[in-house]
Amino acid sequence: MTENYVYVIIALLPLTASMLVFQTNPYHALVIRGILGAVSALVYAVLGAADVALTEALVGTLLSVALYVVAVRSSLVMRLGVHQDSTAGAEDVCFKEFKDELRAILGKRHLRLELVPYPDAQALHQALMTKEVHATCMGRPKHDKHSSGVGVAEKQPYQIAIRVKHLHDILQSELFSPATSLTYADVSEAIKTDLGTQDLGRAHL
Amino acid sequence: MNLILIALLLALLIPIYEAWQDDDIWQKMLAFASIATKTSILTLVISVLRDDWMIGVVGVIILSVGNAGLMLLAHLLRRMNYIGNEGTYD
Repeated sequence: MTENYVYVIIALLPLTASMLVFQTNPYHALVIRGILGAVSALVYAVLGAADVALTEALVGTLLSVALYVVAVRSSLVMRLGVHQDSTAGAEDVCFKEFKDELRAILGKRHLRLELVPYPDAQALHQALMTKEVHATCMGRPKHDKHSSGVGVAEKQPYQIAIRVKHLHDILQSELFSPATSLTYADVSEAIKTDLGTQDLGRAHL
Repeated sequence: MNLILIALLLALLIPIYEAWQDDDIWQKMLAFASIATKTSILTLVISVLRDDWMIGVVGVIILSVGNAGLMLLAHLLRRMNYIGNEGTYD
């Protein structure tokens, strides 16, 4: 075990490990974790621990990275409940603009935006209350636009209710969209008085 | 034989640099595939160099199983990308 190349191979280990430590994006970090696994399997094999190398390659690189991708994918996401017709209609430039801006803000924090369509406003509200989604985006009803609230509907086409306090704070400080002029309905207090709101929903029914 | 090893190690540094620099996740996956294959080839070369069958078997297993894991990871990332871009709920 006095060959010189062994030292060069072992030096790869701290190199890839520091690459992993200084990576901020979780998905990129997982790929680099795979690289670290491959390099460390090489190091273990060169140093004579064949069983450790095999375990590192099979469990450390293959299984744990795959499981972590699934975990990160399902946890680092903001689920936004939307009205079904607002996702189907391609004519809605305003909604697309808002969606892109929201995606840019969330992308800075490595969050994904996932749109969950719901058939009507009642189902949307119910989904927010039962914590199926983190936020709902409700368009003002079309018939309102025709009858009386034309000005309001034109000025503020979308109403967003966010359940998560931290997310609400981030969006409130960063989501500047004067063209769409969004309103925020913070329902984080409503969660605490969950019973009361559920009664309210039942009264509406 | 040592010269071959040094050349392989230098070749291994190229995808490591690529994985460090590039911001695209697919470029990183490419670098990962390259590194995984190169390290197992390196293991095989060392096993020949030392005439050690034990390391050789480990190299073969890592070389063959690594591709399956890579395909699995790529599939998971691809579906994530699809959901993220299209904005549709699965």
